[in-house]
Amino acid sequence: MNVITNNTLKSTVALAALQDVVDPEIGLNVVDLGLIYQLDFDEHAGKLYCSMTLTTQFCPMGDSITSAVKERLKLAFPGYEVTCELTFDPPWSHAMISPEGKEFLNEK
Amino acid sequence: MFANHDNSGTATTTSYRVVLPFYFYAAIAFLVATVLLFLSTGDLQGHYFHPHTLAITHTMALGWGTMIILGASYQLVPVLIEGPLYSNRLAYVSFLLAAAGIPLLVYGFYVFDVGWPTQTGALLLIGAIISFLINLGTSMVQSKKENIHALSVFTASLWLLATAVVGLLLICNFSQSLLPAGSLSYLSLHAHMGIVGWFLLLVTGVGSRLIPMFLISKYTHTKTLWWIFMLINTGLLAFVFLFLYTNSRWLFVWPLLAIAAAIVLFGHFCFRAYQERIRKKVDKPMQLSLLSVLLLLLPILLLILIVVWLMLSPAVNSQLVIAYGFIVFFGWITAIVLGMTFKTLPFIVWNKVYHDLAGKGKTPNPKDLFTQAVFNWMGISYVAGFVVFTAGLFLQQAGILQTGSVLLLITAVLYNWNVMKLLLHKATIV
Repeated sequence: MNVITNNTLKSTVALAALQDVVDPEIGLNVVDLGLIYQLDFDEHAGKLYCSMTLTTQFCPMGDSITSAVKERLKLAFPGYEVTCELTFDPPWSHAMISPEGKEFLNEK
Repeated sequence: MFANHDNSGTATTTSYRVVLPFYFYAAIAFLVATVLLFLSTGDLQGHYFHPHTLAITHTMALGWGTMIILGASYQLVPVLIEGPLYSNRLAYVSFLLAAAGIPLLVYGFYVFDVGWPTQTGALLLIGAIISFLINLGTSMVQSKKENIHALSVFTASLWLLATAVVGLLLICNFSQSLLPAGSLSYLSLHAHMGIVGWFLLLVTGVGSRLIPMFLISKYTHTKTLWWIFMLINTGLLAFVFLFLYTNSRWLFVWPLLAIAAAIVLFGHFCFRAYQERIRKKVDKPMQLSLLSVLLLLLPILLLILIVVWLMLSPAVNSQLVIAYGFIVFFGWITAIVLGMTFKTLPFIVWNKVYHDLAGKGKTPNPKDLFTQAVFNWMGISYVAGFVVFTAGLFLQQAGILQTGSVLLLITAVLYNWNVMKLLLHKATIV
């Protein structure tokens, strides 16, 4: 699934950083899993907005995954104020898994 | 983009403080049940209505199966209803009531004192079930997103309450003649309300959500799940009606067929979910859980044998009844609990320990929080113990029964080892 962004360059850096955040149950990172919907940057105000989802609403691991995403983005963009919000519109589906993610799950 | 955003999806999960005591309690209960089984193998060669058999059955049904299901339900209800649990405090109350009631009930059965220990135990347990029902019902009403999974859990809990109330009546019936016949005559009614109404309905309702979720399967078929729900409930209601109002043994074939059809449909649902899974590798805990779906067929086969036997002979075959009970509690229910414990508990513990550390360093995977080799040996000793003990029941050989019970005791020790390791896990971060 393509991530919506207002800054393609910074978004590439952010997505590379988020490759380290892995869904503990599935073993796949949140980017290839298709959980990241949007990454917007306000360079003047030093703000980063991330919109993401979870594979299931009220997922017991949800808080930990969103915290990890926020921490990784803070590490990748020091000094930025990071806002990370959950949305279930649209809800996550298997179609959002990247081809690399599907390959990983087939091999696993 | 930086204005107010809808944050309605923020996850609020049940506190681990509520859930973990249920897992701890269930692990100890499983150990106690296998010790009692080891000490009582001789009693299982006689009639099924024996104090020690009753004690083992209730330790397995309540201390092991029900306690872990209640604990896991408190964790899973938010996932099923897509809303938070109404009250953590009420969940804790249900734990305290059940934790106090079950040992009293089991002790009462073991020494066959049907006075205050069993009666108080049953009353405490009824209190625990009512607390669970209020919590679940209020959570469902508040979330306004009822679905077949949540409805199955709620209906199963109503059957559990009915089972417990009938159980209390049977206990009281020993000392004061409350019912038209002796308590032994109603044992089958009490047992099947619990086995089919509580365990089967709950396992199909929750399993149909968890199995595709853990397999990352594309398969969903709500219509099949509604059929399963209707077949189990109408089958069981028909059984209760026939039990209370008719004498014809032939008629019991109909509820049996309805419930068997539900099991076949559930097996088909799980198979399709397995076929359409995205994650190809199925881990060991999931393999054990899928084995339990297959094990569901064994009690049905035995039940058909028991019904056929009843049609041909006026007396109940005690050997078949004991084998049926053993296969239900030590086979199907134990297999699913052994498997699902290690699909749920590591994540609950991981969340407890690493929630504040997520993203700040490399944390271990939840599956690395318990010893895989111990899990593998537990699986081997369990399958061997189950097969050997079942063979012993049919062959009526004390030596084989003893060997099987030792293997099951080893299973419980290994299970407890891993559960305690998980519960005592401290953070390690690189």
